[in-house]
Amino acid sequence: MARPHIEPFCDRDVHFKNMLLPGFGRDMGFKMLSLDTDSGACSMTVQFGGGYKQAPGFSWSEMEMMVVEGELRVGDRSVRKGHYFFVPAGYAMPAISSEQGALVLMMYNTAEPSHVEATEHHPQCQLNLYHDVDSYMDIPWAVGNVTKPSVASGCLIKLLNYNPISHAMTFLYCMTPNFYQDNISYHDCAEESYHLWGTSWMMQFGDLPTGGYFWRPAYINHGAFASEFGCIALGRTDSKLFNHFHYNPWSTPVQNRERSGARLYQRDPLLYRWAVSKDHNHPHGPEDFETTMPRRGEGFDQAGARVSDGKQHSHWHGHHHHDHGHHHD
Amino acid sequence: MSFKNLFIEHQRSAEEQAWIDEEIAEQEARFSKIEKEMQDLAPQRDTWYHEFLDRVSTIGFNMDGDDKLVIKPEDLPVKPEGHRDRVVWKHGADGD
Repeated sequence: MARPHIEPFCDRDVHFKNMLLPGFGRDMGFKMLSLDTDSGACSMTVQFGGGYKQAPGFSWSEMEMMVVEGELRVGDRSVRKGHYFFVPAGYAMPAISSEQGALVLMMYNTAEPSHVEATEHHPQCQLNLYHDVDSYMDIPWAVGNVTKPSVASGCLIKLLNYNPISHAMTFLYCMTPNFYQDNISYHDCAEESYHLWGTSWMMQFGDLPTGGYFWRPAYINHGAFASEFGCIALGRTDSKLFNHFHYNPWSTPVQNRERSGARLYQRDPLLYRWAVSKDHNHPHGPEDFETTMPRRGEGFDQAGARVSDGKQHSHWHGHHHHDHGHHHD
Repeated sequence: MSFKNLFIEHQRSAEEQAWIDEEIAEQEARFSKIEKEMQDLAPQRDTWYHEFLDRVSTIGFNMDGDDKLVIKPEDLPVKPEGHRDRVVWKHGADGD
């Protein structure tokens, strides 16, 4: 049943295990951070040993990767710490190697880790989703108010990936020294974080140091927040992030979810009533007509259907037609 | 966990299933260890909770960003009778 609540966990407390799944190169060690028990999706700290080599190929799963330490050769490019990759399922990456070794985060989002040797992308791959960036050098820090209500000043972010459908996000965040925020938060989504450097504190879980990690299902209280000397971390959410702030340390996830429903009712009463009053609870959600409506398709007579050259606005013709009993000059 | 992104159908091999099963077993052990450690932290956490309530009723509660609201002492929540301190919830609101 999905990924369990893993919080707090520090990967420095466990040893690397050898990755023995087929397709990966030798001398690849991993520490499991969290694993979806159904799909095999997981997040791992990975150590590529000096001289590591991996053939070109793709994964059956969407994958995200962040270089934490060291240097990787990816095709004909060298990438260093802070480099982030978003790799859609079926996207054939070039050969990957590391001369001196590298520490990376690898996150498989939709299935277990896999590597199929290939130099061509899988036919179902959504190629346009691929992107990578040197997040340390090429993106400036921005204030953390990507959502309202927002975090206190002193918590900054760099957005690395955004899913326009689910609103899932991957981002770097940092807390300045002496950061604090006195509220308790929960979200309607799962949240994940890995501390690249530094320590932060949360009132429920205590200190999270370098190498610290959490995978937190929705509706679980966390905060107040503080960081005495600052920290930098990679964060992810699996859908829209909304900060439900409050100051009751004893509320439970069930109560928090109930409160989210109450707030939805207060904010969008018509939608709420429609959603709960009839049998709309299809397991995949209500129908989105944009994904199901009939479309013209390739065989449609596009030219025959046109009524203009595509630049015309026939409603812009300089005067109004209206009947009010007099004539314009 | 649902990023709701592309999944390409494929056959999971017996080797891959065995790997997953082993990781699930280790994750169960890891979860139990964390749960115990967080239970042991309960007395310290109780102090942190009360310090927090003191702060939000003195210097304020962060409503939105740096906007703060000082909570009247009479409006502070009361610990429910018989409450067992718990912060680790295996599957959140969906129960264990």
